[in-house]
Amino acid sequence: MKIIFLGTSSGAGKTTIVAMYCRYLRKKGIDVVPFKASNLSNNSFCTDSGKEIGVGQAIQAWASDKEPETDMNPILLKPLDGAVRVFLNGDMVANETGDTPADRRSLSEEAYKAFDRLCEKHQAVVCEGSGSPTELNIMDRDIANIGIMRKKNVPAVLVGDIERGGVFAAIYGTWLLMPEDIRPLLKGFMINRFRGDPSLLKPATDRISELTGMEYLGTMPYADIRFPEEDSTANDEKGFRDPMVKEAFLKDLDEFLEHAEKALDLEAVERISDSSA
Amino acid sequence: MDNITKKVREEIERGWIGPNTDCEYHPCHFADQDCTFCYCPFYPCLDEDFGRTIASKRGKDIWDCSPCLFIHRQEVGKFVMDEIKRMGLTDPKDPRMKNIFKEVKAKYYKKGKALMIFGATSDAGKSVTVMAICRILRNRGFLVAPFKSQNMSLNSKVTRKGTEIAMAQAIQSKAAGLKNSDHHMNPILLKPKGDAVSQVTVEGKLYGDQTTREYYDEFIPRQGKEIVERNIDFLKKRYDWVIMEGAGSPAEINIYDRDIANMGAAKIAEAPCILVVNLEWGGSFAYAVGTVRLIPEEDRKYIKGIILNNVRGDPSKVRTGAEELEKIIGIPVIGIIPHIGISLPSEDSEALRGIRTIGNGKMQISVIRLPRIANFTDLDPLLLEDVTLRFVTEPEDLEGSDAVIIPGTKTTINDLIWMRERGIENALRDLKGKIPIIGICGGYQMMGRSLEDPNGIEGRISDPVQGMGFFDNTTKWDKGSNKVSMNEGTLIRTGEGVTGYETHMGISEVKEEPLFSIKKITGNEIEGSFREEEMLFGTYLHGIFERTSFRRFFLSFVRGGSALDDTESKDYNEFLEENLDKLASGFEDNMDIDKLMEIMEKGI
Repeated sequence: MKIIFLGTSSGAGKTTIVAMYCRYLRKKGIDVVPFKASNLSNNSFCTDSGKEIGVGQAIQAWASDKEPETDMNPILLKPLDGAVRVFLNGDMVANETGDTPADRRSLSEEAYKAFDRLCEKHQAVVCEGSGSPTELNIMDRDIANIGIMRKKNVPAVLVGDIERGGVFAAIYGTWLLMPEDIRPLLKGFMINRFRGDPSLLKPATDRISELTGMEYLGTMPYADIRFPEEDSTANDEKGFRDPMVKEAFLKDLDEFLEHAEKALDLEAVERISDSSA
Repeated sequence: MDNITKKVREEIERGWIGPNTDCEYHPCHFADQDCTFCYCPFYPCLDEDFGRTIASKRGKDIWDCSPCLFIHRQEVGKFVMDEIKRMGLTDPKDPRMKNIFKEVKAKYYKKGKALMIFGATSDAGKSVTVMAICRILRNRGFLVAPFKSQNMSLNSKVTRKGTEIAMAQAIQSKAAGLKNSDHHMNPILLKPKGDAVSQVTVEGKLYGDQTTREYYDEFIPRQGKEIVERNIDFLKKRYDWVIMEGAGSPAEINIYDRDIANMGAAKIAEAPCILVVNLEWGGSFAYAVGTVRLIPEEDRKYIKGIILNNVRGDPSKVRTGAEELEKIIGIPVIGIIPHIGISLPSEDSEALRGIRTIGNGKMQISVIRLPRIANFTDLDPLLLEDVTLRFVTEPEDLEGSDAVIIPGTKTTINDLIWMRERGIENALRDLKGKIPIIGICGGYQMMGRSLEDPNGIEGRISDPVQGMGFFDNTTKWDKGSNKVSMNEGTLIRTGEGVTGYETHMGISEVKEEPLFSIKKITGNEIEGSFREEEMLFGTYLHGIFERTSFRRFFLSFVRGGSALDDTESKDYNEFLEENLDKLASGFEDNMDIDKLMEIMEKGI
């Protein structure tokens, strides 16, 4: 069982939605793990074996009742002073500057291998995309969105953030800009962070389904779920080691899941997760 | 009438003078205006393009052309004076004046055209794009007016005529070089009160409360279109260009048929449209493509250009994407605008979301972050001083404050109860007398003894609510007790000038030493409350920190504030002007202005 959640922009709520869906599957007794091929962030989590991965995958691991491990986020890119420090499988392997670009092709191969290892060991792998999948100027180099989908035939759900408006344009535009060979993998879409009565959106969600063939999976009400990273001061290691932090996060997440079970058609998401098999 | 005739005679005698920069009111209408005819030689021209007949207070018909700018265009003032001299006229009642009027109108009068700026999202940068274009066109000698048919915002400004519009349009009119904004520039203002209810202001005057459904199902279908039509028409008659701003995204297809703020307004104004996309959050190409393609095909042709806004880093990296985008949608990208570091008043409280502090000065000024915080643009001028603003939602956040501001709110009583329940009120009681505390508008009302809203005008609560008791006054909400005015006066303690504007529903009396003396036609009025010993300040006046007089007075009570005496004080208005210039040049350097002008000239 595999699936990827793509955002129509950064901050669309992918990380939370993935954590929520991991939690949902876990509660159904499914052996699930999160995965994000590549993360661009200065916030990292240090695993028990002293390796660095993105914070998002660490908390998604908690949601899955798993210990965070490097396969969940094989590539981590930390921008620093105009250069990018490249971490592969938890260790720094390169300091990328304009003159010395890292070898993206071999990096991506490593990421796909990590994905394969997770698929072998676990029943379900829930992937998170990175940013928007359709940045015209960098699409050909993408690993975390189109890269993994194409290579590993992963069905996808689009997450659109309605808070800033323009969400229907964002979803339709993302679908339109997807390379044609991958477009059939876009199975469904959901709307995140809505304040108001979701039935008001029906004419628009119907229209998007009609135009794209994607299934409408529901609209999440606005929820203020806070991640440990936002509460702790800059990359405070202690924050993540404190069991209270994990407990508080999972309590928030369970509440979020309760809303999600009402607002979203999670069974349909499961069907999509199975659809590539 | 005789008085006007006399004045015009004097003007004719004096001859052409161009802009009169010696006049204390200059420019009373717009930058570089012609002042030859402070009084119009054609009054009353009775031409509907320039004015209209209204009933005077005594019920007599009079000709009102106060918003007319025609005679103040330099080429017009010059031409009219030259003709008068050539024909040797001295009396404005001379029948030949009518011929000059006909001639000058035929030669120089042309109804203006409009341009619409859409955003792919809220916060795409529509407002600043309108500001930049207004200033660029003004610098090229055009008369320009901003317009937004419907603005949902808790930051508003009162015009000279005592009408109310959104802050963004007031700043845009400043960018256009206009001395006064007016309500035609934002004919519908919505102030959200919570629970899907908004206070609706129409053409600057309070209309009433409406639920979202009432507004979209009844108000808009019944009168939305007419309101937009008549105000666009008004502006087109007086300005060369009307630069319109959309609201949110123009591709919200669930409400597309009821829209009067985006494509609805553009069609009424026959305005070509530019779509602004913010690159900051990613996904911008998808937003652009999706917006264009979701707009019904027959309307899509209105979109003539794309602006990619807020690019961080190297703009050339975006260029390949921009070229690809042009190919896909067949619409040119006319600008790739870098992130421009400027400071301009923000539109709504979304701008404060997640923000804990602004600025990094020594004086720590805490602002209570009320749930319905309103007119918080009041705070911006403080950042010209050695100040950090901290936004407070918990009593603990107040620790280490050097001063506290209780800002304005749309729902005073509810927000007072919110402060009370959170323990912030008690924390303020502990701080009273130790550090200065100022309440502005709603915050001032909270500081009083009691708040009484028996008819639920402001909210639902009808029993009197006890105030914080810092001042002795009582605020009452009655039908028709709303007050909207633009004020000028003095700070009583120092005698220095102050300006500010009021807009509030409840009314309270002054029971303390007043802060200000306000000039009114009927004489001077006292305003505000001041307890020096306890360092308590209260006022209804928004924008009161803009001028240095009161800003410095207040800060002199703040720990470390006396050190300001040695620094140069900056007027907020000058600061705004600098920022508007910086914004405009940022756009001018990165946008194809010729292409933009071509789009505007060509129209639909």
